[in-house]
Amino acid sequence: MSEERIEFLYHYTLSPEWQQQVADKLGAVITDQKIMVMPDSIATGSSIFLEVLPGLSVFLLDMTFHVPVAITRIATDQNYYMAYFDLGDEVTTHLLHDTEHRAGYQSKLGMGFMDASIRGIIIPPVEERSYSLRLIIDKDFLKCLFAPNREEEITSGLFDESKNTLFFYSHIDSRSKVLLNSLENLSFTSTSFELKLKSTALRLLAYLVDRATRFQPIINKLSQQDIDQVLKTSQYMLDNLLSDFPGLHQLSAMADMSVSKYKVLFKKILKQTPNRFFLNEKMLLAQTLLLSGNFNNVNDVAYELGYNQPGYFSGLYKKNYGILPGEIMVKS
Amino acid sequence: MREVIHQYGVESDWMESMAVQLDGYVQGSYIKVPEGGSPGTRYVCAISNQITAFLVDVVYHEDVVYRLRNTQHDFISLFFNLTEGNATHILNGVSRSIGRWGYNLSVFDSNLDGDYLVKSGCTTYMIAIFIKKNALKEYISDIPKYNQILESVFEPELNTIVRFDRMSNQAWWLMDELRRFPPGGPLYDVFIQGTVYGLISDYLDQLLVQEIILEKVVQEDVSNIISSQSYLVEHIKDHFPGIPALASKACMSETKYKKIFKKITGDSANSFFLTNKLSFAKELLEKGNHTVAEIADEFNFFDASHLIEQFRNSYGVSPKEYLIKL
Repeated sequence: MSEERIEFLYHYTLSPEWQQQVADKLGAVITDQKIMVMPDSIATGSSIFLEVLPGLSVFLLDMTFHVPVAITRIATDQNYYMAYFDLGDEVTTHLLHDTEHRAGYQSKLGMGFMDASIRGIIIPPVEERSYSLRLIIDKDFLKCLFAPNREEEITSGLFDESKNTLFFYSHIDSRSKVLLNSLENLSFTSTSFELKLKSTALRLLAYLVDRATRFQPIINKLSQQDIDQVLKTSQYMLDNLLSDFPGLHQLSAMADMSVSKYKVLFKKILKQTPNRFFLNEKMLLAQTLLLSGNFNNVNDVAYELGYNQPGYFSGLYKKNYGILPGEIMVKS
Repeated sequence: MREVIHQYGVESDWMESMAVQLDGYVQGSYIKVPEGGSPGTRYVCAISNQITAFLVDVVYHEDVVYRLRNTQHDFISLFFNLTEGNATHILNGVSRSIGRWGYNLSVFDSNLDGDYLVKSGCTTYMIAIFIKKNALKEYISDIPKYNQILESVFEPELNTIVRFDRMSNQAWWLMDELRRFPPGGPLYDVFIQGTVYGLISDYLDQLLVQEIILEKVVQEDVSNIISSQSYLVEHIKDHFPGIPALASKACMSETKYKKIFKKITGDSANSFFLTNKLSFAKELLEKGNHTVAEIADEFNFFDASHLIEQFRNSYGVSPKEYLIKL
């Protein structure tokens, strides 16, 4: 199936002109430099691009693809960062370099932040709705937003591209998720949609900066290979949530790095230690299973998640969420 | 009583004169006013070259009358005004009570002169949005119901745009979130800009769905419904009091109460209550010191799963998920 994929290469600009690449190569029709509609044979739905203010643009895509497409954002030296929010929770297959983010029973990381110089590949699901939003943020503008909240030394270190690469992956944070959910049901042509989209983009940016200033600064230059390798291991964990934690040795071997390097880079990209990351994802899955109504009792959920001792699972759950699993369980 | 004769505008050249009349001064984008008068935050933020916002979060220690005498006539003002206390607007000899429990949203053409009286003891939280007329026209001209909007804000007798209204519940929460955002710095501007676009779009939507022009409703009914809203917010942690109790408090039949509540607020009393309950619960959750079970208890939800279900319906995520991924 991958052989039949339409391969498409592009890059963004802060101004609307990047859309011309889609028109030229895929035959998309662009109206007012804002709304883009693909040929029916490729996808239905549309996308909208707005310049919100100097230094910030937003691109919202709401399409259902009918054929397999691999959309590659090529690395450029353009002066922007991109923040990516994917609401299609279990669906989109997000491919970064050669690392494929698959979906399934596992959870998926719906948010990414990256430099224009890092390549990214998206493989939207076929015959399923893709709903994703991107902020394109001028580098100098973002730096100036960060500056007052951090010591100057840290800010200049973080934004010094010879020493550091800004890049991370995570779940969409709650405030952003709620904001995106409220946008999701509106049509692009509805009253005041453009105002709402601008409002959403600005508030998402504020949440992003607010959240990122709370990250522990890890100043490190990342190569594309580093990113690939680390995301390969996080994906491995997301794909194997029902097993035990694979252990740092296995994970770092998989990433072809020393344990110490692996720990630092993992924490830089995923904002948690590998162990904590795995446990959090497992607990989030536990939450989903408990509320799914597919299980009769907490023991069954514990066994499903690979815990032999349900008491141990309940203890872990309580430690994480402050409530016993039995108290929130929806029984089948 | 202090008298301030002032003007507004998209260009912020009006700040200096207002500052001086309040015995204060302009510092960057702030108007600083001494402690004895009405100290607090007065901040002007450019949203675009067509829109400017004026954010006011102050306490009044003296009576002030603001006499608005614009010299620029190229803009429309939207005042989202959550003043608590005695504040009155006088237009052509008609006084109206302004603020959180009065007309908390008013729309004026810059052609209009008006006087606004604030009594000592008031706390004012207000966002005034100034939009160039041609920009506002652009926003609404491609909307099919354009004429309907124009009709609803146009006052033929005065031959100008004027409207006294109530902001939506969502607008209230937008303003509340902004108030809690740490002020200062470029990020604050980003958040104000986001809030202002949200408020404008919310009001355009409101104009389209609103079935009535608030001012045409009998004054007594309006103030009874506003008191009823106020009562519900004050008792937000309790159980829903029920329509019979609310109606009798508002001196209306149940049928009339339900109908007029919906018309004025755009929502049923029950749904208004629940939406606010959930918003307060969400706010408490964000503080991070409470479990879902504690919050469910605090806000008198039937149990934790009732809160979880309602929360998920409203926000698309469960409270736990919300808390974990903050």
